[in-house]
Amino acid sequence: MDTLTTLLLTFISIVLINNLVFTKFLGICPYLGVSGRIDMAFGMGLAVTFVVTLAGTLTFLLDHLILIPMNLEVTRYVCYILVIAGAVQLVEMYLKKFFPALYDSFGIFLPLITTNCAILGLCLFINLWGIDNLLEAVVLSFGAGIGFTIAICIMAGIRENLDLADVPKPLKGAPITLITAGLLTLAFMGFAGMIR
Amino acid sequence: MTVIFTNIPATLLSVIAAQAGIQNLWHCAWPAAATMLALAFVFAMALLIASEKLKVRVDAKIEQVHKVLPNLDCGACGFPGCVQYAKAVINDTNLLGKCSPGGLKTAQKIAQILNLQISDSGPVKRPIVHCRAHTGDKTYLAEYAGILSCTAANALPTAHACKFGCLGFGDCTAVCKFDALHIIDGLATVDYNKCTGCGACVKACPRNIIEMVPFAHENMLTVACSNKETGKVTRQMCAVGCIGCKLCAKQSELFKVTDNLARLDYTKYAPSEKIETALNKCPTGVIVYRGPSAPEPRPAKKPKPAKA
Repeated sequence: MDTLTTLLLTFISIVLINNLVFTKFLGICPYLGVSGRIDMAFGMGLAVTFVVTLAGTLTFLLDHLILIPMNLEVTRYVCYILVIAGAVQLVEMYLKKFFPALYDSFGIFLPLITTNCAILGLCLFINLWGIDNLLEAVVLSFGAGIGFTIAICIMAGIRENLDLADVPKPLKGAPITLITAGLLTLAFMGFAGMIR
Repeated sequence: MTVIFTNIPATLLSVIAAQAGIQNLWHCAWPAAATMLALAFVFAMALLIASEKLKVRVDAKIEQVHKVLPNLDCGACGFPGCVQYAKAVINDTNLLGKCSPGGLKTAQKIAQILNLQISDSGPVKRPIVHCRAHTGDKTYLAEYAGILSCTAANALPTAHACKFGCLGFGDCTAVCKFDALHIIDGLATVDYNKCTGCGACVKACPRNIIEMVPFAHENMLTVACSNKETGKVTRQMCAVGCIGCKLCAKQSELFKVTDNLARLDYTKYAPSEKIETALNKCPTGVIVYRGPSAPEPRPAKKPKPAKA
């Protein structure tokens, strides 16, 4: 029961309170780039969720089974990038073979996840927050993906409606998007400090 | 140790120190290097096996066709992008000539890849705006202060006196991906050097005054008007409208006047003296050349003030 509560709290914490996009400002590039349409944003969110879960789990194992016993924590960044890039390649091949329709709809975004800093950030955060339980690390990684999906979908929903709004000319395009992102972040600041 | 080192010159000392440093560094670095190499090897192997196991056989022709396409993803062919068109054209040869930006050259290249012979599908199509009225030539019943889009203005019967001509709010320029359409002094004007013939503007115009015309020659003659009112009404509202006087139809059989509006038959179009005479005789100067090097049309006469 105790573990379950911890896991649930971890999940809610990473989704809402420590949301990677809103409070850590990670993964801003796809957050602004792919949030034009809500269906594409959702697809990107799912892809990130999948990769981040895989990468978080793999890097946790790598860290605890190889790097820490061998005193090689300095190589953490390079190793993590290696794991993430490999995982993305693997996912890409798998999707191409078994879900070609999904693969087509992801298009360029799937390889782009490799350079999504939210994923590397999450892997490093797991280490920084001193998570020493595999289950917790998996839940945290999955939650981070869900948090990203929520963030990007909210943004896409707002931007779809923003297209119809009469935005002042100097603010059209990127400026209003950035302002929207700032206001959204402010709204999510309300959760700050609820857990942890 | 220090006693021994004092007897040795300073340069030699630094060399030894550097060597010790490098050795020290090597002792620290080799486990890291070995781990990284091992990791990289493991991942490379995993990906190699995966790429063999999860290999997808893609028709090599798709790749080849995709290479010869212009890769503009303009959607003129009816598919979302060039990749989708490449996939479709391989299975259905009827789709061969659909790429208008690529034109005949691309069609021929695709045909070569697919081992097909194609006949000349005719000249490339380019849009012509069937209106030549600039701001000064038009008559306005009231000042329009609504949403600045042709579709919105077209919903109002009184936006312009002319119910057929160009509204000049630029719905067509907004959809043009190639910066080939501009509103110049209240009239949509095609930049034929940039136009790829994708036909997006034709769909965007709420008044349907843009037509895709086979450009058999560099510059094409056109009756730049869409007004179907009688000559008298047309004259009152536009300085350069077609009044349906049939003077051009008397000169050349290429002109046909229906509903008080002259039209050219582009299937038989060929430059001749007759149509030059028709151009010069046209009382309102509505017959004009359109094309990359089209001559300036005759200046419009002042519209006659409506009789009270």
